Amino acid sequence: MKSRTLKNPEDLTEAGAARKPAGFRLADWSWSWSPRSEREAGDAVVTNFLLHWFPNKISLASLSVKYSFWLGTITAFLFFYLVFTGVILMFHYIPSVERAYASIKDIEFAISYGAFLRASHRIAAHMMVAMVFLHMVRVFLTGSYRNGGLARQFRPLNWWIGLVLLVLTLFLSFTGYLLPWDQLAYWAITVGTNIAQAVPGYGDEIRFFLLGGNEINQNTLIRFYVLHCMFLPLIVTGLFLWHMWRIRKDGMACDDRLALEERAQESRPTPSKTYSLLGVTAGRTATVEASLVDEDKHKVRAVPAVVRRITIVCLLTFALTSALAVWLGSPLEEAANPMVTPNPAKAPWYFLWLQELVAITTIRLGGFTINGGFLGGVLIPSAMLLWGFLTPFIDKSSRSAVGVWFSRERRLQNTIFIIVCLAVIALTYLGTYMRGPYWTVIWPWQAWPEFPPQL
Amino acid sequence: MKRDQLMLLVSGVLSLLALGWATQRNASPGYLEYQAEFRILVEEQLGPEKAAAVPAGVQQIWVEPASRVDRCISCHLGVTWAGLDDAPEPFRSHPTGPLENHPIEKFGCTLCHGGQGSATGLKDAHGWIKHWEDPLLDSQLAEDYKIPEPYAFMEMKCNTCHRFDREVEGMSRLNLAKQIVNEKGCRACHTINSRGGTIGPDLTDIGDKHPEQYDFERLTNFPSVFNWQVGHLQDPKAYTSDSIMPNFGLKTDEAQAVTMLMLSWRKHDVPLELLPITGLKDEPTEAEAAREKMMLEGDGRFFVENTCFICHDVSSLGIFSATKIGPDLAQAAEDVPRRFGRTLEDFLANPSGTMAVVLSKQIILTDEDKAEAARLMHLAYEKFKQQKADAEKETDAATSTVPASDGEPASQTHEN
Repeated sequence: MKSRTLKNPEDLTEAGAARKPAGFRLADWSWSWSPRSEREAGDAVVTNFLLHWFPNKISLASLSVKYSFWLGTITAFLFFYLVFTGVILMFHYIPSVERAYASIKDIEFAISYGAFLRASHRIAAHMMVAMVFLHMVRVFLTGSYRNGGLARQFRPLNWWIGLVLLVLTLFLSFTGYLLPWDQLAYWAITVGTNIAQAVPGYGDEIRFFLLGGNEINQNTLIRFYVLHCMFLPLIVTGLFLWHMWRIRKDGMACDDRLALEERAQESRPTPSKTYSLLGVTAGRTATVEASLVDEDKHKVRAVPAVVRRITIVCLLTFALTSALAVWLGSPLEEAANPMVTPNPAKAPWYFLWLQELVAITTIRLGGFTINGGFLGGVLIPSAMLLWGFLTPFIDKSSRSAVGVWFSRERRLQNTIFIIVCLAVIALTYLGTYMRGPYWTVIWPWQAWPEFPPQL
Repeated sequence: MKRDQLMLLVSGVLSLLALGWATQRNASPGYLEYQAEFRILVEEQLGPEKAAAVPAGVQQIWVEPASRVDRCISCHLGVTWAGLDDAPEPFRSHPTGPLENHPIEKFGCTLCHGGQGSATGLKDAHGWIKHWEDPLLDSQLAEDYKIPEPYAFMEMKCNTCHRFDREVEGMSRLNLAKQIVNEKGCRACHTINSRGGTIGPDLTDIGDKHPEQYDFERLTNFPSVFNWQVGHLQDPKAYTSDSIMPNFGLKTDEAQAVTMLMLSWRKHDVPLELLPITGLKDEPTEAEAAREKMMLEGDGRFFVENTCFICHDVSSLGIFSATKIGPDLAQAAEDVPRRFGRTLEDFLANPSGTMAVVLSKQIILTDEDKAEAARLMHLAYEKFKQQKADAEKETDAATSTVPASDGEPASQTHEN
């Protein structure tokens, strides 16, 4: 390793060896390399692709768990873990109506680690949906979709990319839902695409486009398979890279304040980095500005601090995913049967708040029915998404509120946002755990109605 | 930062533990233990040479035409071995009788036994789990329903393929049930295999009816579709109060047999090449076809369409009731004036006794209907007299031409 050749010659002498603290050092076990100089750290970052993702130095604030909860990192890890497990599953899964279900049974029962891989893939997918959502909540509540007043920042773009990634994540999960070709899959996709059918004017065309026909069959399966395994992951990977690149350009929102506060104390002598000289660029970029803060007090080297934290986050996510996978397994219902509708038939859980909205807004007056498909299935979710996209422009808070949790300046919109999120969570819970046969409410203290067996 | 190093160590250890747990689950499938046990058993009973031939790892039968894989033999290792008839399960030899016509390498296991062939764990494989609708029809099931033969329910699986065979060796219960279905004339009201009446529901695929579609509220014993059907067969009105299905007075074992037969009537995906060559279609005998035609299309179809035949024969018109609760309507034209002192037409207009209830609640007839009924009953009586006269002529002729011998059956003398 590079560090070994760059060792201080003194260390190699006997005297140097004798000066070294003897015994066990945790650092030797957990991270074998620690750069000896700023230059060495900088070199490492520049010459190493992976480390190039991070700046040389990074603020303590942006490392804080309390600020970001590392939700984006968890999501990214889950995505790559899903790609890893998914590629292995692709070797065993057969995307044909006749054989898909049996191939899943083989994965479950006969293939080494098959059940574990499938369960991991499923749990990681559910977790990714949840984590993307929570990541968005974090960014909203800290106002991190806004520029902090530093040059070349355009955070709204990254917020929009994030929203697109959220929608794509839902769609990735939705397309994966059909692949086992069991009753759960078949009817969840039936309900899901029926909600899409409520789009006025083009509903039938949209459903036809999604299914590749008028009903769920081989065309749908191969369509969903290609979308799930190739098309969507590639788009998500591209957008993810863009998302990361924008982070490096925009900087973490919590660092803006640090930079602005430091700038306010203009009397303090600053390191002489004059990138703005001669007006080549107007203003100082986030990276430069951030590099001007008092380094000793607020910053640490990215290597190993960030790398180590990311490793910790990934390992913990992996451990949790794996433990849940072994513990919960992944259910597989009866083979898909278009003739037998389960009661109740439910959409995937992250669309259940929509199904719930459709059910609630469907009003029956005698023999007359007002279908809630448009209101609950199209209008409300579109309005929410539109609000999401316009949020950076609606927000009129000052720059000092950027990167601050629950800033008072954003009290109204934060309150509305939290209420909407809680409503979505409550409706999802209601739809998942409290809707029994014929979509009746079953309270937690009531017994879930079970149908007697045939024999 | 020291804390981060510790966290790194902890998270690494946690990851390894999780992976270790997954590995432990993956590396200890139950069949390996059974295979080790079986090896010892074979060594003891058949010698070490044979023991060396005991397989290791997942064993399976690929039933290609049915796209089925049966891994049952991963644990049920003795199935194809001779000489282990007294070995404990899962090592016992399979009885050779059924295998003669159903070689295991061609039919696999689950086509006849039920269960989940692809599974490799006990609970999953026997199919007594959620989301598996084809469980193993084992002796436990027979015990639960207090049926003396341990594998009685397996006849239901036999009938998947042997549905149209009237008599199959080893299917004593379902053979009986098929006989009952014929004798009681279920087809008079119910369509079975696309033949029969439309008064009651079509029973062709009744076995596929989902438990959700049954009303279990009036069932007093363990709620299951099987118990519902048995109870309903023995007393239809107790389960569906507005049912017009008669009570045939079936004994419990008869009702159980008919229920097994009914629940075996399901759609299936057994490919043609595995089905028996005989009986690919439900073919009535000539007599049965003639009788059905008579009932559904003959002069007396009025009595079928209006459900009179549930209680009454109209013998001269070829209408036969399975229950014979009421008198034969072929003689009504003579019978009614004698018993009630009224004409048939008058009785139909103002019925008394049971018929007053039936004709006001269950069978509602218009005046035209009643006139038609009366006309047909007169016609039936004419035919009845005619048939009686013909029969008498025939018996006279028979007694005069054929001299009675000593060994003449008792019935003949009785008739005379």
